[in-house]
Amino acid sequence: MAGNTGVLGRAFENGLTAFGAAAGRVQATLGAWTRVPASTPAVEPPVAGPPDLDRAISELANRLVRLGRYWALSGTDVGEIWRAAREARRQSFAGFPWRWRLLLQLPLSLATLCVQETLRVLHAFRMVGLRVGPGFFVEMCETFLDLWVYQSLQYREEMQRYRKRLAKHPDDATARLHLARSYVKCGLHAQAARELEVAAQSPRRRPRALYESVIANYRGGNFDLATRQGTSAMAEGVVTERMKYWTWLAAERNGGYPTATPPEHRLEMASGRHPTSVRFEEVGSRIGLNKTSGGRGSAVLDFDGDGHLDVLLAGVSGGCGLFRNNGDGTFTDVSVGSGLDECINPWGIAVGDYDNDGLPDVYVTRLGFYDGENVLYHNNGDGTFTDVTREAGVAAWTPGFTSSWVDYDCDGKLDLFVPGNLGGLFHRSPPGRLFHNNGDGTFTDVAAEAGLRHLPPTVGTTWGDYDNDGYPDLFLSGFFGRPKLFHNNGDGTFTDVSREAGIDAPCLGMVACWCDYDDDGWLDIVQFVWCRNEDMIYSYLRGEGPPGGEPLRVFHNNRDGTFTNVSRELGITESWGTMSGNAGDFNNDGFLDLLLANGGPQMDRAEPFVVLENDGRRFRNVSFTAGMPVTGKWHGANVADLAGDGRLHVISASGGMYPGDLLTTSVFRPVELTGNYLNVRLVGTKSNRDAIGARVKIVAGGREQHRLVSGGSGFGCLPCEQHFGLGRGQVADALEIWWPGGGKQRIDRPPVNATIKIDEGRTEFVLVKKGPSPL
Amino acid sequence: MSGIARPDSRQRIGGTVPDLELPVVTGGIRTLESFLDGRRGAVVLFWSSVCSHCIRYDELLGEWESRQPEVALVPIAAREGETAEQVRQVATERGFRFPILHSADGAAAAAFQAQQTPRAYLVDGARTLLYRGAIDNFKYPHDPDYRAYLEPAIAAFLAGRPIEQPETPSFGCAIRSVYYELPKPLS
Repeated sequence: MAGNTGVLGRAFENGLTAFGAAAGRVQATLGAWTRVPASTPAVEPPVAGPPDLDRAISELANRLVRLGRYWALSGTDVGEIWRAAREARRQSFAGFPWRWRLLLQLPLSLATLCVQETLRVLHAFRMVGLRVGPGFFVEMCETFLDLWVYQSLQYREEMQRYRKRLAKHPDDATARLHLARSYVKCGLHAQAARELEVAAQSPRRRPRALYESVIANYRGGNFDLATRQGTSAMAEGVVTERMKYWTWLAAERNGGYPTATPPEHRLEMASGRHPTSVRFEEVGSRIGLNKTSGGRGSAVLDFDGDGHLDVLLAGVSGGCGLFRNNGDGTFTDVSVGSGLDECINPWGIAVGDYDNDGLPDVYVTRLGFYDGENVLYHNNGDGTFTDVTREAGVAAWTPGFTSSWVDYDCDGKLDLFVPGNLGGLFHRSPPGRLFHNNGDGTFTDVAAEAGLRHLPPTVGTTWGDYDNDGYPDLFLSGFFGRPKLFHNNGDGTFTDVSREAGIDAPCLGMVACWCDYDDDGWLDIVQFVWCRNEDMIYSYLRGEGPPGGEPLRVFHNNRDGTFTNVSRELGITESWGTMSGNAGDFNNDGFLDLLLANGGPQMDRAEPFVVLENDGRRFRNVSFTAGMPVTGKWHGANVADLAGDGRLHVISASGGMYPGDLLTTSVFRPVELTGNYLNVRLVGTKSNRDAIGARVKIVAGGREQHRLVSGGSGFGCLPCEQHFGLGRGQVADALEIWWPGGGKQRIDRPPVNATIKIDEGRTEFVLVKKGPSPL
Repeated sequence: MSGIARPDSRQRIGGTVPDLELPVVTGGIRTLESFLDGRRGAVVLFWSSVCSHCIRYDELLGEWESRQPEVALVPIAAREGETAEQVRQVATERGFRFPILHSADGAAAAAFQAQQTPRAYLVDGARTLLYRGAIDNFKYPHDPDYRAYLEPAIAAFLAGRPIEQPETPSFGCAIRSVYYELPKPLS
């Protein structure tokens, strides 16, 4: 099985890690001796160039690889290569006043970088390398190299390189092919199709050009042409899984295959057909949440304290969009002038009331795969937010996929955890930051003392108390290394227990969440996993995962500090390129279902939104029976009862990495209320006001259900409101709350089909809203 | 830059937008009022010559005069740091014949609270803000969910009807971003 490494592999990895750490220590000692400032967690963008040697070497490596890629694709002369390399070196080392001293450290810095890169490649090969050729790695490299080019709007320069080459060598089909691909990335599909027609005349490039032509025409809305092109290309012998898949997608949009498509080139979808009681309808435009953008994170919060759940959407092709709930589940865009609209290039959102004033504040990370300035916005209570990043001391320049609010020391004040992801092919693992809340609007980074400074590149971060000792523990999921589990020792320090806990087999990990899927009172972990395109296509069409594939992981809590991955036992085998996911009881049957928002940055990646329904024993893919769309590119999956009527909405900020890969935010709502429900809002008085970290148990119909109030788990941030599905006709016997500070509270016979609010320490609840009963 | 008054802290539909007095990239200075002269309204369009989303609207901008003869087009090259020379070069490449204003110091964007390009503001002859947001919800050609926003708003305004959707969320390239200040990846 992927990720199952041998003793030798583990020993090699441990040896490399130890070597890298030793080299780092020697470098630090040498730096102190030669009075070269050590590398510190970056706060400011390096406008004048990288601030230290480690970053400069990484920067130079990234630049040289990027230049190498364009030379390979567009060709150039030796003089130009030399000039470009000199310029790359100059920019990478700009502003260094002590070069001779740096020379002593250079080999050590290179060694630490090589160790990190080797470990990443090792992990990646464990995942996919034995089953596939270099294609996966080439695609991943292209994504990393493109990101900065498109972010800094240098797509024109990229195209000009290809055009310049073609002006001199019009027969260079490689340059023409990649010019066309750049057009597709910018949404210029007609130009792309024209170039691809020419490129396809080259016998060597014809198969790829024909495939790209199908993509260009599909994305250009010419589904009929794309279908015919795919059919004709396959008749020529260009038969690949991807070609079949995109021809099928085009045929689906065009009303079916043409008669010319032979049976062996046709596909049928087998996934997502299990029967279900829930049926979704898309209501984004109807309720005013249809923001078109390169959507990323989403958050559900009550920013104005009116009791209705509002929505914040992060769109990387635009700023943050703030949408106020009109009280009936429809929304008004109140972004302009809110201050959040100025937050350009946002990625992940974490919402938490750090000053306990009853108004949720917002922390935003930028560009998950490239460095960005994180921002903390204080909620002023009048519909505006103020950037207080500097005053609060939470500034960070880091590739920020995710962050989360947590009261890790249970002092009643929310702290902020900010790990970093990988920001470039040759970036080093960024430092983790744990900002302790000082209680006066300022924070102190205590990551080093806590043992959370040196972390692998992290995509998903989620906090939950797995051993029920009252302190939240930390699970980290990453794309380039092993997952991590840190036990909270309760004294401000953390211990890495990943290996003993049995959760550290590497995978292409994305976001993760704690949830008690089997309602045994012990939190389990769901780690969402990305996969290569072919594995997704295999799963989509066959309704089961490929041999050696990696489905999402459900780590069952064994109640003894260890976990067992039981996803296959639970019937989950399909591989998806999951970028975001969450849990929620969509059919109100009392069992937590899972939601997988899938996709990938490449222009030839389109995937369905997957709903895995839990019947108490197994999870079944009910996506298409439930009415979810066939394809898309989904991010920021969020789950909330936006209308307060018991129906959990699925919200997904959607869109891709490239400007030509736009989508609109989707909101899927169950058509009917299929079971009783209870929504519970907690207000901490001794605990943090949001009650983040609280555990809620409901007893109904002879069984228990458990929920955790989460402070963010990936792209988005779930509402603090907890939703319980109770099945048809069930009433609730009791509700128990375990507050983050340790206090316990019980409410007997709470109402059903209602939203209630419970203040910490008060035995009575407040009825916020009485909702409808199921039909 | 002179000639732009600071607006209210929160620009509102139905409020008055400030007048503009900005250089034209090909020379001279124009005010928003001068564009409104003899027209029933104007569309102030925050735009950039390097914006990877603005490129989708070249055809609309090129045909503006014939499509919307009663409403002036006021494109403002607004991205911070974008030079007039860059804009002129791109305008020539793409065959634009209309005047393009230039505000690369962020003042015009700040006055209109615009954060990204393209972003459109429809005003009447008294500079009353009637619509702000995206031109449309374009994702790809022939999209069955495609909806134009700006031109229907103009049509409603010209016909004296209420504008059905006076605000839409806009998306596009950041007008101001630290990424534009960092060393370029392809230099």
